[in-house]
Amino acid sequence: MNNADTAFILASAGLVLLMTPGLALFYGGMVRGKNVLGTIMQSFFLIALISIEWVYLGYSMSFGPDVGGVVGDLSWFGLRGVTNSPSPDYATTIPQTVFMIYQCMFAIITPALITGAFAERVRFVPFLVFSMAWAILVYNPVCHWIWGKGGWLGGIGVLDFAGGLVVHVTCGAAALAGVLVLGPRKGYGKMSFMPHNLPMTMIGTGLLWFGWFGFNGGSALAANEVAATAFVATHLAGMAGMLLWVVMEWLTRGKATTLGAASGAISGLATITPAAGFVSPNSAIIIGGIAGIICYLAVSAKGRFGLDDSLDVVGIHGVGGVIGTLCLGIFASTQVNPGGVDGLLAGSSVQLGKQALGVVVVGGYAFVVSWLLFKGIHAVMGMRLSEEAEVGGMDFAEHSETAYND
Amino acid sequence: MELNTGDTAFMLIATALVMLMTPGLALFYGGLVRSKNVLATTMQSFLCLGIVSIIWVVYGYSLAFGPDVGNVIGNLDFVFLKNVSWEVGTGRTIPDLLFCAFQLMFAIITPALITGAFAERMKFPAYLLFTSLWVTFVYFPVCHWVWGGGWLADMGALDFAGGTVIHINSGAAALVCAIVIGRRKGWGKESMHPHNLPMTVLGAGVLWFGWFGFNAGSALAAGPIAALALMTTQVATGAGALTWVFAEWKIQGKPTTLGAASGALAGLVAITPATGFVTPVWAVVIGAIAGVICYLGVLMKAKLGYDDALDVVAVHGLGGLWGALATGIFASVGAQGLLYGNPKQLMVQAIGAGATIVYSVVLTFIILKVIDVTVGLRVDSDGEQQGLDVVEHSEVGYNI
Repeated sequence: MNNADTAFILASAGLVLLMTPGLALFYGGMVRGKNVLGTIMQSFFLIALISIEWVYLGYSMSFGPDVGGVVGDLSWFGLRGVTNSPSPDYATTIPQTVFMIYQCMFAIITPALITGAFAERVRFVPFLVFSMAWAILVYNPVCHWIWGKGGWLGGIGVLDFAGGLVVHVTCGAAALAGVLVLGPRKGYGKMSFMPHNLPMTMIGTGLLWFGWFGFNGGSALAANEVAATAFVATHLAGMAGMLLWVVMEWLTRGKATTLGAASGAISGLATITPAAGFVSPNSAIIIGGIAGIICYLAVSAKGRFGLDDSLDVVGIHGVGGVIGTLCLGIFASTQVNPGGVDGLLAGSSVQLGKQALGVVVVGGYAFVVSWLLFKGIHAVMGMRLSEEAEVGGMDFAEHSETAYND
Repeated sequence: MELNTGDTAFMLIATALVMLMTPGLALFYGGLVRSKNVLATTMQSFLCLGIVSIIWVVYGYSLAFGPDVGNVIGNLDFVFLKNVSWEVGTGRTIPDLLFCAFQLMFAIITPALITGAFAERMKFPAYLLFTSLWVTFVYFPVCHWVWGGGWLADMGALDFAGGTVIHINSGAAALVCAIVIGRRKGWGKESMHPHNLPMTVLGAGVLWFGWFGFNAGSALAAGPIAALALMTTQVATGAGALTWVFAEWKIQGKPTTLGAASGALAGLVAITPATGFVTPVWAVVIGAIAGVICYLGVLMKAKLGYDDALDVVAVHGLGGLWGALATGIFASVGAQGLLYGNPKQLMVQAIGAGATIVYSVVLTFIILKVIDVTVGLRVDSDGEQQGLDVVEHSEVGYNI
């Protein structure tokens, strides 16, 4: 047991928790004023819902004793056997309870990210049912495949430092399924949906960036050189994403916007996530820069497909997660992290193939299961707000509240 | 030396805390301007995270902390972070890369502080150019003088966490900016009330929180000096908030939230250079005097007639100057000041402050003039009337 590592992962868990309120602000500022509370609630309430799920099912399904490489069994139900002594398999220098709560924060924010795709039009109760089912059927198995001891993707060498596949590709694929099943907001394409409070979105961006240091740096699971590498890569990719996104919109639309700076930063941060502990600072800048350009183009293209991915979950997290996972196979270097791998630029093409397999499998699985969940829940209980409620706003219709009362 | 996991854990968290100060500053400044300029103001802090980071990697870290050339600047050995690895550096217990990241966060917030002086009227391209040139020609050299083994370090000037490098430096630059770019349209005639004070108070809270990483982290180790710095930071800040509020209560009739936020910031600024060198009791004195001095500085601005829009000169310039001198007076931990029988330290502090002011003023003036004749500093009068958000960014802050 190492006290310093424990201190670092405890603080990192706090940082990752803060990302979910940060996301609530990020999303909350981008919707219309009549939906701000409903949107915040969809992130915030998952702290409660998923934490419960994690204690009784999630941690055991994700990290518990392996069943056929596919999922953990339920022998850790209710954290049975999860104690303050270190696990022999995960984060071996810190109490297992600390590892458990750190991983819990990842499980919370992933379904919260999806909510941006169907913002402003989904009822609260079906949202809760979907999130719970999604955590059990998508997040937990995929987390086990990659990070669980015995998981089959991890077993064949697919790498994901801090959640490019587990978090960003899964939520991006689910977001796409949600948009396809649930359809656009009323009036989409006819009226403009202006963000109601961009300063709020900027606060959210700042908190997400801050929390991301715990997300990626903490994923080293120790206060060591790998944590320093991941921390630096995270910051540099975030800044490169912000710069390139802003430059792109300046060139193509004539102005640099704050929303662009925020979106670009998040695209860089999401994209570096799988690669953070495996690449050099200069590679991190290139990866973040690529993210800023490609995610900007993806978000710009969404209108052409008529997809109302309201807050750009597919364009930023889905696309960013895919790019980052592949970039790991290109830029990774054992000179940076002797415990990692060599990618294409270091002369080995095997890893890129493995990463591509990971993207196809995880993206495909998450998309199919999410699509079935959205279809099923929509058929049984109707996920969309009534037209009247959508016009009046979900804050009042679903929560009997209004955000701003002068 | 060997890597110390405790120090590394602490410095990872401290670096994240200092990063958060720049979004915190965006809130602090964003709430103080009129709502038609809130996004542009936020953007001027936020984009420093982008611009300064890239410059830092390309050549900034090398100029500031690279092997010394003639006691004035670093050489180019660390360009593109060449030779900067995750190995533990000489005399340190944390990876070099982490030290580099920690110092980067300081380089980011310093030009962001200056933006308060030219708020609500500068063109966006001019801001980008100013930030790039200013960190290159002012921040990196001064940082090298004090922390990179330059001539001020040799002379024995004390600056624990950036009173001279950051606050005097940005305060002096702010004064030149306010004068060269000129007053906002309607200044002194119409009121320019802050549009969202809760946002400013939230920003002050985030800054205070982040400052623990800024000051305690500057110990570069999780040891007794970090603990001392954390404690002196806390009590100086509390004292600054109190005395500012009492001073304005006495002079202007009411204690205000803006005064509490500004006073806290004044205390934080003033304790920054002294934070690891003084006892908590002297820290209270330093913070308390800072609250009054900086408050009087804000009043003075109206008399002198320069439009330092968000009071960078009064808070960071005067607060930083007082802090640098106070370090020479009250230092007793690891160095001796005037009160502990070493009057020479006060003189060294004064020389450090004076040299930084002169250098920063001259270089900032030249940079501004160059920008003025090339891309132009100010938006036109119509644009200023409409607000920078629409004119420079095609956005509006609120559609409620």
